Amino acid sequence: MNSLPTRLMASATLSVWGGVLTTFFFSNRIASYLHPAFHWGVLASGIALLALAAGSVIFPESDASGCPVKCQPLWRLSLSFLILTIPLLAATFVSPSAFGASAVRNRGIVDNLDQIPAYSPPVEPPLPQADGSIGESTAVNPSAYLPKNAAGQIKVETVDLLYASAEPTMREDFENKEVEVIGQFMPARTGNPDGDRFNLVRMYVMCCAADARPVGVSVQGQADFPEMTWLKVTGKATFPIQAGRRTALVVADSVEEIDPPEESFIY
Amino acid sequence: MEWFSFSPEDFSYAFLSVLMEGVPFILLGTLLSGLIDQFLPSRTMTRYLPRNAFLGICVSAAMGAVFPMCECGVVPVIRRLIAKGLPVSNAVAYMLAAPVVNPIVAVSTYAAFRGQGAAEFVALRLGLAYAVAVIVALAVLNLPLGAVLKRSVLASAALEPDAGGGSGGGPLGRRFVAAMHTGIRDFLDVMLYFVFGVAVSSLFSTAVNQELIIPLALNDWLAVASMMGFAGILSLCSTSDAFIAATFVAFPGVSKLAFLVFGPMMDLKLLFIYSAVFTKRFVLGLAVGLFILIGLLCVRLSVLGL
Repeated sequence: MNSLPTRLMASATLSVWGGVLTTFFFSNRIASYLHPAFHWGVLASGIALLALAAGSVIFPESDASGCPVKCQPLWRLSLSFLILTIPLLAATFVSPSAFGASAVRNRGIVDNLDQIPAYSPPVEPPLPQADGSIGESTAVNPSAYLPKNAAGQIKVETVDLLYASAEPTMREDFENKEVEVIGQFMPARTGNPDGDRFNLVRMYVMCCAADARPVGVSVQGQADFPEMTWLKVTGKATFPIQAGRRTALVVADSVEEIDPPEESFIY
Repeated sequence: MEWFSFSPEDFSYAFLSVLMEGVPFILLGTLLSGLIDQFLPSRTMTRYLPRNAFLGICVSAAMGAVFPMCECGVVPVIRRLIAKGLPVSNAVAYMLAAPVVNPIVAVSTYAAFRGQGAAEFVALRLGLAYAVAVIVALAVLNLPLGAVLKRSVLASAALEPDAGGGSGGGPLGRRFVAAMHTGIRDFLDVMLYFVFGVAVSSLFSTAVNQELIIPLALNDWLAVASMMGFAGILSLCSTSDAFIAATFVAFPGVSKLAFLVFGPMMDLKLLFIYSAVFTKRFVLGLAVGLFILIGLLCVRLSVLGL
């Protein structure tokens, strides 16, 4: 990698990758692609690639390093540049940073606790305080730790309701209570005998969007939206037994379209 | 039920997310390979490994416990180690075992299989991966180098000096510069294969209806084979694949085990990445061999009642 054109070509490839990675991080677009645990790795890689891009131009390799074996011809680096940058840039422009309905259909909507990757309910009572006393009524009164909206409805995620459908103690927290849940609209193609149900879906992610699983609950109520429209549903959480299995069903009082939330995934 | 529905938006979304997840690990591996190139004296590895070939392979396959690497990052590292004189069989043992036989994967597998016999799954996953890596490496031991390594890798290995410091020598600054250029070359080389692999796996993971495989869960042989095929297509990272495997509740335990052992050793993206080091024929043989070996071992393990 000694001649200036080859160094420039390699540097250009690294710059494109470094630029895309750092742009994704600083624009927070990365939040729609990866679990937060990976965000800083993306930034570090982006900066490292930009530094390497600059370093490869500024510091040429000495001839003593065995160039006949290691040097790549310019045409190969040019081809490599095209293969490595065009798909990346094209995908960056084409990708809507969210899955569409066909991916959700192909992956299948998860509506059973058994199909959820190891998930821990996010809401837990606080630990005893410094003086040894238990936080105010937290251990006995779920309303003390379940977040609520201004109207007093419990704010839940689709995955919380799935957990509640399978765990009696958690179910008591939600059953027949007013809840608010947000998600994306998908028509119910099965389990919809009266034609008055739809699915409300959130993408549950372990590492990155590629492993996202659409976790959904049934909603009883009239809704006619394009697939994957973001909705806020308020209504009563119920857990009827259907086809021999307890399921989560929200009987909707209201269904309204909303803007996509800042955090589209649940983890 | 439609089995294939391609959406450019979904494809590009999955494609970008896997690229972003994998690039930091590949970059880390290639930078490490540059440093190995310049600062690890040739033949150091062989000096510290047992002289007995079998013991050497056994130790190499366990090195992931000390030097954990993911399946993407390990390839540039072993390419450089081969150039530094590490026997190819030892390199293959490390390459296949390190992404699984390491503490990070043990913890993530345990977490994913909580309530599903987590300790047994961890022990079986790591144990089986170790055994498979050793068996494959022993097979490689008997193959001529020309049938295993690409000509360019073979040539670089042959040109490495037998002793002394790294390949560069000279002032420290010059060696760091040389390490940087080596890392860049390896990065660009491996990324070519990675991009192809991710493109193919993203196509399958977004366009193909995955519910169609459910009927395959009813038979152990079919379940094991289909779960390995699924692992190959999804091309998941070994640190997170257990969380996905655990959700295939309809499938028997042995098929999940096959998924967890086969996936980090061979998948669509690795098929391309391995081609940066090994001959096409060897890579194809490795894919088929791993599929058969892991499949047979897992089906035999069904006697454990998994």
